[in-house]
Amino acid sequence: MAGIGKRRNLVAVAVLALALTACQGGETGGGGEAGDVKFDIGVTADPCPGGNAERGCIYLGVLSDLTEGPFRALAVPITDGQKAFWKRVNDQGGVGGKYDVNIDTYTRDNKYNPQEHVAKYREIEPKILALAQTLGTPPTLAGLPLYKEADIIAAPASWWSGWEFEDVILESGYSYCTESMNGLDWASEEFGKPGRLMAVHYPGDYGGDSAAGVAEWAKANSVTFDAKRHDVQTTPNAQAGNQDAAVEKILGAKPDVVMVATGPAEMAEIVGKAAAQGFKGQFIGSVPTYNPALLKSEAAPAIKALYHFVAPWGPWGSDTPAHKAMQEASGGKAPANDGYTFGWVWSYPLKAVLEKAIQNGDLTRAGVRAAVKQVTVDYEGALPPKSYNGEPNETAMRQAVIAKPDESAPLGSSVLKDFFVGPTAEKFDFSKPCVAAG
Amino acid sequence: MRGRPELFTSYQRDQAPLNTPAKRVSLALLLGGLLVLPFSVTAELTALGATALLSAVAAIGLNLVTGYAGQVSLGHAFFLGLGAYTAAVLSGDPNGRVLGYGLDMAVWLPAAGLLPALVGLLVAPVATRLKGLYLAIVTLGLVFIGEHLFRELRSVTGGPGVGRPAARLELFGVDLGRRSEVLGGYPITREIKLYLVALVVLLVLAVLAKNLARSAVGRAFAAVRDRDLAAEVMGVSLTRHKLIAFTISSFYAGIAGALLPTVTGFIEPGSFNLLLSVQFLAMILIGGVATLSGSLLGAAFVVLLPRLVEELPRFLPFVTSQSTGGILTTFQLQTLLYGVLIVVFLIAEPRGLFGIWVRARNYWRAWPFSY
Repeated sequence: MAGIGKRRNLVAVAVLALALTACQGGETGGGGEAGDVKFDIGVTADPCPGGNAERGCIYLGVLSDLTEGPFRALAVPITDGQKAFWKRVNDQGGVGGKYDVNIDTYTRDNKYNPQEHVAKYREIEPKILALAQTLGTPPTLAGLPLYKEADIIAAPASWWSGWEFEDVILESGYSYCTESMNGLDWASEEFGKPGRLMAVHYPGDYGGDSAAGVAEWAKANSVTFDAKRHDVQTTPNAQAGNQDAAVEKILGAKPDVVMVATGPAEMAEIVGKAAAQGFKGQFIGSVPTYNPALLKSEAAPAIKALYHFVAPWGPWGSDTPAHKAMQEASGGKAPANDGYTFGWVWSYPLKAVLEKAIQNGDLTRAGVRAAVKQVTVDYEGALPPKSYNGEPNETAMRQAVIAKPDESAPLGSSVLKDFFVGPTAEKFDFSKPCVAAG
Repeated sequence: MRGRPELFTSYQRDQAPLNTPAKRVSLALLLGGLLVLPFSVTAELTALGATALLSAVAAIGLNLVTGYAGQVSLGHAFFLGLGAYTAAVLSGDPNGRVLGYGLDMAVWLPAAGLLPALVGLLVAPVATRLKGLYLAIVTLGLVFIGEHLFRELRSVTGGPGVGRPAARLELFGVDLGRRSEVLGGYPITREIKLYLVALVVLLVLAVLAKNLARSAVGRAFAAVRDRDLAAEVMGVSLTRHKLIAFTISSFYAGIAGALLPTVTGFIEPGSFNLLLSVQFLAMILIGGVATLSGSLLGAAFVVLLPRLVEELPRFLPFVTSQSTGGILTTFQLQTLLYGVLIVVFLIAEPRGLFGIWVRARNYWRAWPFSY
């Protein structure tokens, strides 16, 4: 029958078309050499959009919480701080004098949602050399196996204790775990040793890490900390609606000190509602819980009376060369909060690694990953120099700063106690992450 | 019967799935196009294509129960979630922080269809007692029960904000989830493999659905939808056919739910919400109720729409991709567009994109004498 013959022709045409396209070849992976530096993905010999025509371009990705997630108030200034940091690098002649850095083109919103984070990562991965920012512990953990597979190194916007054990993550400062220990060490020095402790935190590895630090501190100092009664998980308001359940548990257990690891809005609600119902204990916040905008909220009096927070390095107004450079780079206009400072300081390790890779003549992803172990990061005084080569127990940073909300200070916070390492944090054996990841 | 393609001399030929040469040609062209596509576009668009194909599987499932059998279901997201977690648990790392058994895709893919099908079978008796708006409300309840379960079962789902990795694509020991490998000097990316898996799954399930729709069961579905009393008088068992419709629809949702998260590779429990159900309803309403090609068109349209909207800020100054400035953000615009499109299609073209296609086809078939 003619019909069958016709059908056969069609199949033949379809197969031919398929074969032809297959022969054309797909995307080329990029790659080449500029001068004596070889590179593969995320680097071009052509200048950046609007960049110096003499230099090549390194494309870095940013995955941050930019629109509707719980950390958007911090994440936007973090990203601005990083932009300012890399702009300064470019203005000073680029990385290793050969490349400008572009972080704008591949900035994406992860909404602090691991699924969204991975989807956006997959979108930008074929075009970037490394990640200038991967925000949030759970999202970064979700992406981590993919980073390793693709030899992508990343500066985290997170202080999880497990990053010390991951070679593709360039962490700076303490971890949430040692943060809790330092905070409690300071609190027991300041207010007397607490009889009852409590940890109120997000589920997952940010809050979990903070709570593990509290449990560790309780053990080391022989204070009762019953995981069932004193370890309270609470979810962001986007999911939970409000924090009443957590407040109720605090009022029921009457702790002397509560370590909080949530978003700023949730922290303010917890402190405000607890205080309104006569709670007199102290709140110590993990660094992401503070946002100076809270001083204009209803909870402001409670926050000023009952709340302090721990920070990994000095806030905006500190007097170090790094802070001076940052203030200059911001053009004299103060940012909304200290997210800007975080973004700035978090960027030093990546700069050091990129410089080292260029010096080695190997700016391929594998070459960049190999360079991580070879650097000693100079933070221009914001933090002591840091190496990623060695036992985490030796290389991990433990020092912290205690700060309080202060309307009169720049960015609404002032340092109460400068860099210190509390006795419990000092003694802690950092041979594995506080919360073991799967 | 050369030259008279629409003259059928037997009932069998009339009811054949591809009963005219034009249908055969267009199907062959479509398949050829779908096969060539992933090799000629970027990895990002290939992944989007895979998402569209898998969404089409779920849309076909919803069309069977809502389009063909006329039982409005808002609970589709729940069955997608069930499938997603069945697959993720069965294939997950046994030593991971969440439950996992490390099984092969040959095990988890059928299981991810069967478990939701079983749950669908259990839920279906409710549908035999209720219809219309009341049924919609009950199935809406399913979504909320599902959301709660997925949020609280932390050992299975990882919990809100944390999530777990999606099912691993390992078929008979061959890892399809690796970044890329070279086959005969040509790089086959993970996205291309995913796309091809999705295409095969869609083809198999679409053929099955087509056969079901043109069988006695399919005609019984239509009878139940058009007038349940009349159908019962004719001897069509309402209970039996509603059970079948829900069970099969849930099976399709489960399969799609298992494979959809593998595109990104990660599942956050919040993603199986009412909005997802509404998206699938939008697919079949925009695409065309009770047609297979409508399900495909609708799925492609709804999946590609957000990507198109993302391009809009370049052309429309009042739309912005940032959180501040501008009147509308792209995200708001996407949500708005679903609503507007559903309303416009229901009023102006109830048969959906498929209806537009039929009209265009009829115009050209009668050309130059079209009125």
